Amino acid sequence: MDFLETDEQQMLREAVATISKKYGHSYFVEKARSGQKATEMWKDLGDNGFCGVNIPAEYGGGGMGIAELGIVAEETAAAGAPMLMLVVSPAICGTIISKFGTTDQRSKWLPRLASGEMIMSFAITEPDAGSNSHKLNTTATKDGDVYRINGSKYYISGVDEAEAILVVTKTGVDENTGRGQLSLFIVDTDAKGLDKQPLPVEITAPEKQFTLFFDNVEVPADRLLGTPGNGLAQVFVGLNPERILAAFMACGSGRYALDKASDYARERKVWGRPIGTHQGLAHPLAIAKINLELASLMAKKAAWLFDNGHDASESANMAKYSAAEAAIAALDQSIQTHGGNGMSSEYGLADMWGAVRLFRTAPVSKEMILNFVGQHSLGLPKSY
Amino acid sequence: MNVVVCVKQIPDPAAPGEMNSSTNTLKRDGKLIMDDSDSYGVELGLQLAEAGGGGEVTLVSMAANGETGGLRTALAMGAAKAILVSDPQLSGSDALGTAKALAAAIKKAQPDLILAATESSDGYTGTTPVQIAEILGLPSVTFAKKITIDGSSIKVERQTEAGYDEVTCPLPALVTVTAGVVEPRYPNFKGIMAAKSKPVEEVSVSDLGLSSSEVGVAGARQEVFEIVAAEARAAGEKVVDEGDAYEKVIGFLEQLKLI
Repeated sequence: MDFLETDEQQMLREAVATISKKYGHSYFVEKARSGQKATEMWKDLGDNGFCGVNIPAEYGGGGMGIAELGIVAEETAAAGAPMLMLVVSPAICGTIISKFGTTDQRSKWLPRLASGEMIMSFAITEPDAGSNSHKLNTTATKDGDVYRINGSKYYISGVDEAEAILVVTKTGVDENTGRGQLSLFIVDTDAKGLDKQPLPVEITAPEKQFTLFFDNVEVPADRLLGTPGNGLAQVFVGLNPERILAAFMACGSGRYALDKASDYARERKVWGRPIGTHQGLAHPLAIAKINLELASLMAKKAAWLFDNGHDASESANMAKYSAAEAAIAALDQSIQTHGGNGMSSEYGLADMWGAVRLFRTAPVSKEMILNFVGQHSLGLPKSY
Repeated sequence: MNVVVCVKQIPDPAAPGEMNSSTNTLKRDGKLIMDDSDSYGVELGLQLAEAGGGGEVTLVSMAANGETGGLRTALAMGAAKAILVSDPQLSGSDALGTAKALAAAIKKAQPDLILAATESSDGYTGTTPVQIAEILGLPSVTFAKKITIDGSSIKVERQTEAGYDEVTCPLPALVTVTAGVVEPRYPNFKGIMAAKSKPVEEVSVSDLGLSSSEVGVAGARQEVFEIVAAEARAAGEKVVDEGDAYEKVIGFLEQLKLI
């Protein structure tokens, strides 16, 4: 067992941290508030090969895994500028296309995903099907040489930055179970009949959320990814990387908040002594540190299991759960440590609340993780 | 054009440094990183090698404990290979002993140009580069802010207090590079992955034809007798703004002849 990062992983961490700090939290917030995208930072990461470290080398990627992409995500977040689309574009879409795409599909999409030149969104959630993917209502119907997609999706991230969207659709119903048979399609963002409506959320981030309406959107048959009807199994291959990446990103955000709190507690003096001398402030920060380290350890374990071909679902769920809780607690304590300044725009903490709090809900809710652990890890009866 | 860049691997300046109480020198037995001031030389070296057509950058470094962590960073930036002088006998070397070892290693690479930082961020003697040039019998130009290749010579803009000198110098030569004159590239991911497989030739003192009496503590002509803590900085002068603060600040700056 080896808990040390390799030389390459350490250098990757340093290089991404250097780039990310060059932009930093104020850049991130300015872009978010002015309705712009973090294009310069994304391009800088992409040009240096960091957006596609997990994409196979024969398709222009770095040829490494989710552990390395996790390092990239964590370091962007630790600099206060989490690049959400890393979770979606290379982690979910990149993984699914690498695994289930035909040679033509891989050659078409992966090189530009790897370079960061194009971003791909991922659309699964629907108004009537959140955590229950079996109930999806967006359908794809074969019509001669093409498929036609109808239905709607919501909470779809970064559609306005994406060139294409990986859409999960229903192409049939299993007669025995009554469950939907799902199929995956890569749909151009500017496809005719696809309406994209911004969905306002209280999250300060350049990446926006969207509701999508598919009105008879025509998709060529070569945009079908993998085996028709086997979409759910294929999606699950991409969802573990999503959870693992979310965990790394939460750990990074937690580190950002905790670093700020520690700096402040060392410098800020009340009654002639730094406030960090008071255990009432020092101990909660120490607890936050411990919980972040534990979450990070689980994220690394999950990434290692996934990259080495083992079942990572339990560890990915545990990593996402613990990283979300650790990050929320770290940010909360950091705001508390800053006193009134914790709420000021200048200190760059309170604006993170929406994004960090979201980790408890997405990409999978705390409750669904606890259901999973209860049922699969502990063998408790299923409640739903 | 083949360029050698001298790269010093130093203890991480972000971590508190520790002194060796018997020799009064900095402890260097832990993990070492590339001295940040060398990243400018690496960047300039890579640019010049590319501009010179077909050349490459060789790193030359010295570390008593065989450490290569700092070299890997420069290899990831794009340097082709490295020569590491590593030998327990080197421990305690002064600037001249270091220059002897580095000069012997540089000779093996037969470069057209040698680049070094003006001084290291841990020792700050600022003498090693010119000593290397002297030992190798090469011309040296210090404090370069720009280097242009011109056939078999180089044109150097040499930073001075008043502006800069324009110096022309035949090759091969040694040039020291001022920090901040170029933007060092980040190691990209392909560079990072390639760094491990790039050759690092480790040579000992005897491999270089040097005797143990020339380097290390035995060869050192300087001895540090005592180290004392730097004096705490005196409290500054506080200017309270009662509408005339700008006058006081301007007066203060004029007094220092800064404006």
